[in-house]
Amino acid sequence: MTMMHPGLSSGWALLAWLFVVVIACWALFAPRATCASRAKGSARIGHHLAAKHAASSWPLLTLKVVVTALFLLVIIAGALGTPIPARNLATVLTWNIWWAGLIVSVFFLGSAWCAVCPWDALAIWLTRRNVTGRPNSNASLNLRVPKILRSVGPALIMFIGLTWLELGFGITTRPYATALLAVLMVVLATISAALFERKAFCRYFCPVGRTIGFYAQLAPVELRRVDPEVCNRCSTLDCYHGTEKVEPCPTNLVMKNLRENTYCTSCGNCIRSCPSHNIAWNIRPMSREAIQEARPLPDEAWFMLVLLALTGLHGLTMLPIWEQWIRALARHIGDSGQLLWSFTAGLLASIMLIVLVYGLLVALTRFCNSRKVSFKRLFYGMSFIALPLAFAYHLAHNLNHLLRESSGLGGLLANPLGTGAQPLSMAEKQARAMSAMIPQDALFALQAALIVFGFWIAMQVLRHRGEALLPGSGWKLFPMCVFALIMTASHLWLLTQPMMMRF
Amino acid sequence: MRLYGLASLLLLLCTVWCAPAYAHHIIGRPAYSLNEDSNTPPSMQVEVQVGDYFITYMVFPAFPRPNAPGRINLYAKRIDNDKPFQGKVRFTARDDSWFSQREELIGVQSVDDNVFRQNFIFREAGDYIITAKFEDHGVPYVIDFPLRIGAPSRIGVIGALVGGLVVALMAINVYRRKRLIGEKVRDAARGRKTS
Repeated sequence: MTMMHPGLSSGWALLAWLFVVVIACWALFAPRATCASRAKGSARIGHHLAAKHAASSWPLLTLKVVVTALFLLVIIAGALGTPIPARNLATVLTWNIWWAGLIVSVFFLGSAWCAVCPWDALAIWLTRRNVTGRPNSNASLNLRVPKILRSVGPALIMFIGLTWLELGFGITTRPYATALLAVLMVVLATISAALFERKAFCRYFCPVGRTIGFYAQLAPVELRRVDPEVCNRCSTLDCYHGTEKVEPCPTNLVMKNLRENTYCTSCGNCIRSCPSHNIAWNIRPMSREAIQEARPLPDEAWFMLVLLALTGLHGLTMLPIWEQWIRALARHIGDSGQLLWSFTAGLLASIMLIVLVYGLLVALTRFCNSRKVSFKRLFYGMSFIALPLAFAYHLAHNLNHLLRESSGLGGLLANPLGTGAQPLSMAEKQARAMSAMIPQDALFALQAALIVFGFWIAMQVLRHRGEALLPGSGWKLFPMCVFALIMTASHLWLLTQPMMMRF
Repeated sequence: MRLYGLASLLLLLCTVWCAPAYAHHIIGRPAYSLNEDSNTPPSMQVEVQVGDYFITYMVFPAFPRPNAPGRINLYAKRIDNDKPFQGKVRFTARDDSWFSQREELIGVQSVDDNVFRQNFIFREAGDYIITAKFEDHGVPYVIDFPLRIGAPSRIGVIGALVGGLVVALMAINVYRRKRLIGEKVRDAARGRKTS
């Protein structure tokens, strides 16, 4: 029997929609602030404390060791433990807690996960054979990444593949496959570290790192220079090159020019290497970067749009209606019982549908504004609207998994391999479904608030980037507002549907 | 006396509070006597759709062991009119380990109360593929489903991946060392020329 989570109640959904409509009217008709008049304030986080911790690599190393130990336990449990997903630490910790909690962590901590990522830690320890300090650069072939791979394209393909594995192949309910995927990611990271300079895997290939990176544009924390003048006078660029003891920036960033979090892995090397102590963690207004600072690039625009499509697909596949559609398609094309071809077709169709709708509305916006800018420029420039919409829905959806499906972790840590365990009984399934970490109404309120928050940021992006691309366009940006409204409405609808419990 | 009375009352209250009674039986059927003939043993249940049929199969017990009896129940109904399939289903088992082609017929079953029931006993632990085949109006239907018997070594593919990684790292290391030595030799040659 499959347990279902109740969907967002219609009261909360209507209230959220009301806010969304009000915000949409404000976005189209309220006078716009110019770029220069926008506040750019950000505050440094407890500078002395942060600097003290950042100056030493030991706290981070300790965290890395703990996370890596848990990661190895996941591999062991997945490889040798019970195939019952609800009784195996590998599936519960990976998919119900880590995968769901990761996106929540971005909301508070940006790309902090990348700093303790066990894939990267194991890869670096295996190839450079140095746990502390600056690893031996001669331990890698230090090749440059081929030009064709120097974009987020490889990470995008990996992310689509990961989604296929998760939702199509059903890796979330297969402990052994989960362990296999974990090892595969370490193998890819290690081969990349052995072949390419710095951390090419993190920068170009990692689907999780890039997803976190894009979402981190909306995070309230950033690692930035303190005084621009100090950076302007700097001739050594230690943040980029590293020092004798500190590694260089793993993703080739120069702090002097850093404007966006997308490729920052929060490793803190720049803080440790800067001789002027001019780098610090800042608290900033959420989403400032997506609204005005991030540069629109073609590969990144595609990543954000596909991210929006795939987050929606996550919710859609957990509805009974999706199964009916896919089964009907499978009948039509004569698919096997596993429905893999039908799912693949559904996945590609959902991506294409979002891109098509977005493209059409971009074309309409251009038409309404007398074709003042090229289609490409508008297409890439406006793609930042997709980011807060995707992030908000991803968070709201993942809260369901995290808060409703994380029970029983204590028992799993006591018996991570699930030795001698039996499948969950109906009573246990029901007990788990009923034991959410917070009251249901609080969860609904959070989900509704997140959807409104996402739309609010999307409208700010629309107003600011719309003004920059099409000055004086005003209400003529309504097609893009319609795109955000369509996506928000579909996300709200998805949230109101009962959702199948993972296991 | 009042003290004893109060103590007894407290004890009684504690007993009521701490030990809620649970029913052991539901309509006389003990819930713990589970085997493959019971209605409610822990089982693996999968639903698939093949062509015009919607197929449900169940394996009892969920994780069969070598030399222990088990059973597969298969139920097939047409999607268009919900009519259960009434012909015969042929069950075969194939060894799913790498480089193995062993296949054995387990049995051919007629329908029994709309369900095809196939008993099995596997002598060796391992990964198997059970295939159920039937024909309807000349159209063949084949349903493959994996069945794990016992707890075979599950480190196989992961071991191969880790092994591959070690070999790749060693190869890269050897290449790197050769390149470094080459560079040193070239530097030395250059040094001799300039001197």
